Amino acid sequence: MNKRRICLCLVLIMALSLMTGTTALAAGETWTVTCPWAPDGVASLVSQKAASLSTEYSEDITLVAEAIKGDAATVNTWVLDNQAGDPSLVFVGEGLLSITATMDPAKLQFGYEDFVFVENLYSSVFVLSADASLEINTIDDLKAYVAGADEITVATNGATGSEAFLAAALFGSMDAGDALKLVPYQSAAEAAQAVTRGETDFAVSHQSQILEAYNQGGVTVVCAFDEGPIANGPFAGVEGVGEYGYPYFRNRCFIMAPAGTDEEKVAELKALYDEILADEEVVSWLHDTMLLEVDTMEVEAVEEHVANVKAIVEEYLDIVQPEG
Amino acid sequence: MLQHIVPASGLLFTLQNILWINIGVFIGAVFAAIPGLTVILCVILFLPVTYSMSAIPGMMFLLGIYCAGGYGGSVSAILINTPGTPHAAATMLDGHPMSKAGRTKAALKIALYASTFGGVFSALALLFLGPQVAKLAAQLGTPEYFMVCVFGLTIIAGVSGKSMIRGIIAACLGLFISCIGADPMTSYDRFTFGINRLYLGLDVAVCLIGLFALVEIVSRAESKPGELHMDTRKMRDNGTITREEYKRMARPTLLGSLIGVMVGIIPGTGASEASWFSYSQAKNMSKHKEEFGHGSVEGIAAAESANNAVTGATLIPLLTLGIPGDGTVAIMLSALMINGLNPGLTLFTTQGDIMYAIMLGLVLVNIFMLIQGKLLTPLFAKVVSIPQEILTPIIVIFCFAGAYSVNKNFFDVGVALVFCVLAWVLRKLDMPPVPILLGLVLGRTTETNFRRALLISNGNPKIFFSSIYCWVFVGLIVLAVGAIIRGKLNEKKRPAQEE
Amino acid sequence: MKDKMDKLGARLREKEIRIPVDLTAGIVFFLVAGVILLLMPSQVAVSERDVVNGRAFPTMLMALMMICCALLVGKELYKIAKKKPLEYKTVNLLVEVKALIILAILVITYVLARTTGLFVVGAVFCALAFLLYFRCTKPLYYVITVGLAVGIWAVFRFLLHVRF
Repeated sequence: MNKRRICLCLVLIMALSLMTGTTALAAGETWTVTCPWAPDGVASLVSQKAASLSTEYSEDITLVAEAIKGDAATVNTWVLDNQAGDPSLVFVGEGLLSITATMDPAKLQFGYEDFVFVENLYSSVFVLSADASLEINTIDDLKAYVAGADEITVATNGATGSEAFLAAALFGSMDAGDALKLVPYQSAAEAAQAVTRGETDFAVSHQSQILEAYNQGGVTVVCAFDEGPIANGPFAGVEGVGEYGYPYFRNRCFIMAPAGTDEEKVAELKALYDEILADEEVVSWLHDTMLLEVDTMEVEAVEEHVANVKAIVEEYLDIVQPEG
Repeated sequence: MLQHIVPASGLLFTLQNILWINIGVFIGAVFAAIPGLTVILCVILFLPVTYSMSAIPGMMFLLGIYCAGGYGGSVSAILINTPGTPHAAATMLDGHPMSKAGRTKAALKIALYASTFGGVFSALALLFLGPQVAKLAAQLGTPEYFMVCVFGLTIIAGVSGKSMIRGIIAACLGLFISCIGADPMTSYDRFTFGINRLYLGLDVAVCLIGLFALVEIVSRAESKPGELHMDTRKMRDNGTITREEYKRMARPTLLGSLIGVMVGIIPGTGASEASWFSYSQAKNMSKHKEEFGHGSVEGIAAAESANNAVTGATLIPLLTLGIPGDGTVAIMLSALMINGLNPGLTLFTTQGDIMYAIMLGLVLVNIFMLIQGKLLTPLFAKVVSIPQEILTPIIVIFCFAGAYSVNKNFFDVGVALVFCVLAWVLRKLDMPPVPILLGLVLGRTTETNFRRALLISNGNPKIFFSSIYCWVFVGLIVLAVGAIIRGKLNEKKRPAQEE
Repeated sequence: MKDKMDKLGARLREKEIRIPVDLTAGIVFFLVAGVILLLMPSQVAVSERDVVNGRAFPTMLMALMMICCALLVGKELYKIAKKKPLEYKTVNLLVEVKALIILAILVITYVLARTTGLFVVGAVFCALAFLLYFRCTKPLYYVITVGLAVGIWAVFRFLLHVRF
């Protein structure tokens, strides 16, 4: 019995010291960074990585990353709970600022004016992948296929996310909007699997989410939703739809502070993020593992991005969500 | 594979890894044993700890939490009739009656042994059959997933209590509740009544807190003052499991492990479904059906082996195809990716040693879970002797903290309270709560796959019979329905014969 | 005070209500399903292009629920016609009043935690309220329970970083 008690005490002490240890990490001023999406998503992962490096680059600011799934609902709560001066940051992207704001503004209890832009955490170039049996490798192949197709099925993560609008914009601008059938899946991984087993013709996804299916030969990667070809990684050289004049946007993750936050503090936070995002290890991790790009931005570029996506959403809304 | 085993063992068997496994197992078991705190919540809260570690200790720590959480959920199910996690609800049906009969330690031990067997079984399946099984699972598509859900719904018959009609009504209610929120196929809101937060839908873990944990607190109203303290003389066992009971455990444990592995490899399904499938099949195949729901050894063994057998199996699609099998594993994916490992078959050639170390580690995790479980069982068993005056508010506080922590919002605490009231009303009307939980667990997947399949086929229902796998599931559904009808006929005959 | 409550309790304990449980359940859930079907058009928007729209699945469920309820009610009406005994459930008033008190403790705990934004306030109230409910007279139990309530909050707040 004594041995048992000693063992239990040891494990208990280990667990407690671990928990206290993690608390002790948070020294200096602690800024909580709220990611309103799934804790296993790309944004949360990059945020955690950045937070884990914050103490290396700053003695005054410690970033603590948290992920609270809930999208607009989480940001609504965040806006209500945080005022200027509160050490709190939140992520918003084109999904909230452009898509939800256009499709369902009632869901948002905030506007762009409720935030101050700090930095863009990353940029992700979505890709269009095709069932390998269709043998579509380039945009010209795609055009030929679309010209002869009565129905085009595209797997997307969710019904009205960035992926759905990119697919609608591409096929809509190829005059194939009527033939397009968007098939929503619960996750990007499910969507990637759907195209691999031929359940749909195409899928739109982050590069990292289709990589394994591509490595196994189940899909071909047709094009990237960007201005030019992909520069790095396993999909380097894949054509960008922008080269052919088709609409596109990148997926971005804006780090925001509450409106009215001291300008100096915002500059300090931006500088910290810029340093972390310039760290060689982070850069290579973003490129090689996450297949993302470091893409630091200024306010003007953010506003331009939001407006561009909004324009695309408004133009292709009837394809994604036809009126009843 | 063999060329990787030796270097993988070298990477795995370090003091640091063994320490992290043990910390993970301890935290997972204790966390999941507390009503309201789920395994996924535990993994989310402790994930940041792994960011400063390399891949193997990080994964070992998280796997420790994951596996021990599978077992830990059963502890509160057995002790206080409140499943610590959704997948322990099936264990509760027999675990608590056995505990009430004074065999708390025996019930905990049966759950522990069955969990360990299921865990080791699935770890070995992962180690030896991973890539092959994953390729097979990858061929299952939307119509096959729908068939799995329909098969799952046949379980309702087994958990409806005396009246199947009441069970179906309760299941319909559960399935309907799962429709609340944004329509997964169109994003239009459904039954949100203008409440903004409802478009996210209702979290199963939050509903579970109300349906099973809080309502159990309200049911204290039924207890008399003399029942506030457990009569420790009633705890007549010292945890002994008889040879006969071991024999009876064998078949459902093996069956549960097989079912757990099969369910685990199908992404989107998880431990809850597995434990119900297994429980239902064990009941159908048992010679002692009448004991189910009254402290059956087979019932506990079937449910527990299945929910722990899911742990290794969900890692199969994750490690081989990069597809997380369930929510918890999806979060574990982060621990790999943050270390620069993008899971998939490619990784088996580029980082084979690390992959095999993780897979071997899962066996080790289960062994340490058994050791710690044996040490903790007497301690856990003491919970039943804590005075109700102290235990009751503590359970409530944990439930509220757990409900809040799911989405870090008080709205979910309110939802748990609403479900508590609903469960109390249902009790008064003799409606079984378990089919509601089943409906909640299966609802969204059933509807989404049904509608998506018809969207793909332009409304042609032939899609549900379009592959050999569909037909296999049709066969299983027919068998299950046949067994239900046979069971009902036997039930009708029995009283007639007794008369 | 204690005596008065005991007397009231004794009086309530004797009061019982018998509910024809299948009949009541059948009628209640039939009505629930009916109301949901009526609310469907206002609560679920659909598009003409949907192959299977968002109303289909809940409509199927509610239809099935109504059929089952009709069967349940029909069975009971048949029993009434044949003068067979119905299934009854006895509800004791004292139990229901006590259940309402417990529910009130839960609701007040929630309201206190939510309005103050401090979970610990609700937790301490919950601990004290249940001790009073159980008529606990041992000071040690009060110390232990309140201490645990604060301890749980502290672990979540400071170690697990759940801000409440």
